[in-house]
Amino acid sequence: MQERLRRVFREIFADDALTLADDTTAADIPAWDSLAHINLMFAIENEFGVEIPDERLGSFANVGELRRYLEEHLPVS
Amino acid sequence: MTRDARPTAAGPVPAQTAGPAVTPARLCLDRARAAVRAGDDAGAVRWALAATDAGDDLACWSAAAAVVARGLAALPPLARSARVAVLGSYTTSQLAALLPVAGARAGVAVEVYECGYGQYRQEILDPASGLYRFAPDVVVLAVHAGEAQLPAMSEHPDADVAAEVARWTSLWDLLADRAGTARIVQHTFAVPPDLALGHLAASVPGCRAAMLAAVNAALGRAAGGRAAAGRVALVDCDRLAAEVGKRTWFDPRYWHRAKQAVSLSCVPLLARHTAAVIGAQLGASRKCLVLDLDNTLWGGVLGEEGLGGIALGDGPAGEAFTAFQEHILELKAKGIILAVCSKNNDADAREVFERHPAMRIRLDDIAMFSASWDDKPTQIRRIASTLGIGLDSLVFVDDNPAEREVVRQLAGAVDVIDLPADPHGYVRALASYPFFETPALTAEDAARAGQYRARAQAAELAAAASSLADFHRSLAMVATVVGLDEVTLPRVAQLVGKTNQFNLTGRRRGQAELAALAADPRTAVLCVRLADRFSDHGLVAVVIAREDGDVLDIDTWLMSCRVIGRTLEDEMAGLLVAEARRRGCRHLRGHYRPTAKNGLVADLYARLGFTPTDAAEPRAGASGGQPDGAAAEPDGTTWLLDVEAAGDTPGFIHLC
Repeated sequence: MQERLRRVFREIFADDALTLADDTTAADIPAWDSLAHINLMFAIENEFGVEIPDERLGSFANVGELRRYLEEHLPVS
Repeated sequence: MTRDARPTAAGPVPAQTAGPAVTPARLCLDRARAAVRAGDDAGAVRWALAATDAGDDLACWSAAAAVVARGLAALPPLARSARVAVLGSYTTSQLAALLPVAGARAGVAVEVYECGYGQYRQEILDPASGLYRFAPDVVVLAVHAGEAQLPAMSEHPDADVAAEVARWTSLWDLLADRAGTARIVQHTFAVPPDLALGHLAASVPGCRAAMLAAVNAALGRAAGGRAAAGRVALVDCDRLAAEVGKRTWFDPRYWHRAKQAVSLSCVPLLARHTAAVIGAQLGASRKCLVLDLDNTLWGGVLGEEGLGGIALGDGPAGEAFTAFQEHILELKAKGIILAVCSKNNDADAREVFERHPAMRIRLDDIAMFSASWDDKPTQIRRIASTLGIGLDSLVFVDDNPAEREVVRQLAGAVDVIDLPADPHGYVRALASYPFFETPALTAEDAARAGQYRARAQAAELAAAASSLADFHRSLAMVATVVGLDEVTLPRVAQLVGKTNQFNLTGRRRGQAELAALAADPRTAVLCVRLADRFSDHGLVAVVIAREDGDVLDIDTWLMSCRVIGRTLEDEMAGLLVAEARRRGCRHLRGHYRPTAKNGLVADLYARLGFTPTDAAEPRAGASGGQPDGAAAEPDGTTWLLDVEAAGDTPGFIHLC
């Protein structure tokens, strides 16, 4: 999970050295603006096959919350 | 346009685990990153561009865009560049961010300006806007169906459609007035799929969906037929949306969240096609399709099955190959040159074309027929040199992944289309390839394939002729000088836009600019048609020269590559001397501005008896009428000829 998430972050932010921790927030990644956030949410939906609802879109306090959300909502394979 | 997973290059695909999804695009991206780490900029760019060919994933494209931007900055400039303004009616930031990588794939270095959200109209109307300060070479009108000013239902659909069309064409006209030579790329409206009227919409001309379709059609006619023809090109978003499915193209979740009128899953596709159309306008399109034979044009291996055993025409597989051949002939009809590159005995391969009753493609459709046991990169290089075009004008199709790979590795400038294993998918694979775009259909386009074939025949004759002079004499060439008028203008503009090799100054000019030049009595525009006993080559050479005191200055001189090596350049020099004398000029002045592809003519003026002067000449800018300041390097040359001292021409071409 963490590895897939990191790959998507690295692609969207075009930064191969980017590291992710559960307490990483938008403030830690300078390029993480509102446009990048939309791109990121789209790419995460695409990678994990989930649809993040509108009310959750801007609600993740940090990467850990996002990861936990995805773990709970991953489609059963 | 899926690409091979490239097992030879990237290793076997590992079994899917909890790790990131392994896609062909990501395998290419991994190769690109490895090249970056190894300091191999060219390899990094090549693999990152391959990643964009391999899929339409936004994340992969974003990563590839960054690799390409860094890599291109470290490499020699591309042959063409363009300043592209994206004027949108929705959130176009992703499109603007991906256009440079899509442009690089299409052979054009793109620098982007993006207008403020939804500000397309204000930017065009305000003469002091950032758009005009940017001085664009290309303006992309990236607009969506919701922006069309049409009611849900109209009592007067014809008038409403006409008003909406006029709104756009008047913006085109304003751009033509204010942005000089800028070309316009207009996105058509993707007609939405979710209609309250249902099937009734198809028979109610006043409903919005019907009016949108009518506006699209009228914009197409306006772009093709107006005075500014050649200046406006469409990207048919309605067709692209239909191809991917309109409910995929428009995603209401991201429209309501962030005003993305094109789903982020489709923006890479839109960037690719927009770049392909820009590339076509700048002359970067591919010119020639190189065809394998066994299991590509017919089913089975000729050497094993024999003429009667191959699958063609009958049965499901046979019909699939017939359909593929018919699609290829449609490409030929729009001016794409066809060549054959096969490992076969030449006589056996030709026999299929001559004798198999179901063959759609005939031998005389093929400009260069190469069937031998030489490796394919070698055969392809021979095809390019015989036809007189660069490897980067060629596109190769072959069912065999190994042949595709060897061509990629040893003739990397050739584009390689991956055919799927199943021949029923061949037409779609070829139709999805975007770089055969052409800006206009001209009579010359339709006849070009035949002319290249004549050139190949003439090359064979040259090999047989005892001397070059005998060869030239045997061609019985006739050149005709014609003026620039409404009949010749589209073809002249096409030559000015597309000619790369025999092009002394690399200046690109649109139709309006050319017409304005020709109207100036101090400017001479000489257009030359050439015919020989094999074919009429049509209008193949253009010279533009301007009086500058007692000097006639050669501003533009170019010749189609299909008539290189015919002594036509010598006869044109003679025409220039005559023109200078007629105007009372004592000297001819020529300039050579190097581009990535015009090394062929670096010594032309020396060979014609001109003497070099000390005046430095900047390297040619890839776009616009003037040298690109950023790329200026003082390594061009300037040459003078005293018209009284000019010698005689070879006289192999009869002038009339």
